[in-house]
Amino acid sequence: MSCLAFFFHVLLQAQSPENDFLRSTGKIYSVVAGIVIVFAGLAIYLWRLDRKLTKLEKHINDEHETS
Amino acid sequence: MAKWWWKILGWPCFFYVLIGGLVTPLSPGLTGVVPTTAIAGETFAIKIMAYNTQFSEADKTYVWLKNQEGQYLKASNVQVKSNNELQGEFIVPIATSGQSFTIVVYNTLDGSAILPDGIYVSAAANVTPTRVDGAGFTDEPGVDLVKPEGIRFPYRSILNETIRNTFFHVALWMAMFSLYLVGLYHAILYLRTSRKDHDLWSEAYNKAGILFGILGIATGSLWARYTWGSWWTNDIKLNMATIAMFIYFGYVILRSSFTDEEKKARVSAVFSIFAFVALIPLVFVIPRLTDSLHPGNGGNPALGGEDLDHTLRLFFTINHRLVSARLLACPTKIPAVKALRPRA
Repeated sequence: MSCLAFFFHVLLQAQSPENDFLRSTGKIYSVVAGIVIVFAGLAIYLWRLDRKLTKLEKHINDEHETS
Repeated sequence: MAKWWWKILGWPCFFYVLIGGLVTPLSPGLTGVVPTTAIAGETFAIKIMAYNTQFSEADKTYVWLKNQEGQYLKASNVQVKSNNELQGEFIVPIATSGQSFTIVVYNTLDGSAILPDGIYVSAAANVTPTRVDGAGFTDEPGVDLVKPEGIRFPYRSILNETIRNTFFHVALWMAMFSLYLVGLYHAILYLRTSRKDHDLWSEAYNKAGILFGILGIATGSLWARYTWGSWWTNDIKLNMATIAMFIYFGYVILRSSFTDEEKKARVSAVFSIFAFVALIPLVFVIPRLTDSLHPGNGGNPALGGEDLDHTLRLFFTINHRLVSARLLACPTKIPAVKALRPRA
């Protein structure tokens, strides 16, 4: 039983924390990076959507003028 | 205006979660201890490293070792080195050796913080562990552990500040699911009415759902890198969610492979019903049946205890993405755009 407890203890301590920027200050910057990913994803999607809609609006307007 | 109330509601929800979710402090926590092993029967000093604590400002900080029966052993000679570092001395009775102890730290400013299984105390080489009784341990810590005022998110080791990702990562999947649900609704309506608009709305909702799925995988992968230690693990929920994603990618490919508009609409409506039916067991059932690192799956409790306590729920229940996700579903085919345009 105590052997098991020791093994578990060593296992927990074995994960030596790497120190880089995204891990500093309680890994808060990985949260920030996540938010940036979401924002960038939504922004790119909306930009593409807007381009498609502009094209369609132009198409509809041209159709309207020619008819 | 009245028709688009959710667009306006989306903004206060978004800022409430973004600001509240990032500004609310984390509870203090213990990050490590040196050394991690000690020998019973002799005095040893341990150095405790902490996060978000105010040891220097607090009147007095107490340190205990807590054994597996829940009894406390108070440290003598506690020295505060800095706000986030202190030292305490212990003599662990030989009878209680051969186990790991939880370290408990308390002061009135920070409240209590624990490090489960922080230190392992072994018996000295030349003594048998049952010689002395558990003297020194008491059933109560001897000091009232009062929770300080104010809202703080729970501190969990490994997760640390990334517990805030609950508001951003989990919400994406909920938004994806609700978008697919509306896509399903329009698919069924198309099969019942054969109106072209329903097909286009169904496509728009499913495509917006795919966007949220991709973002969910991207943020989840980043979260996994800094907590579980790898961009991708063999966790059942990750793999099942990916399969569900591929089924919906299949939907997009299927649509592009038809030239006959009516056949395309009919087949893709049927496909999106099947895709949604497949999504439920893949994301909600199978991960619960086996082991998973995700909370709420495979005997891993979620929505209770420290995983989602009342402080996190304060910001999680107001699901900003759920409110604003519908904004992003926009059909990009001519009949639907004509329907969207204000009629003169």
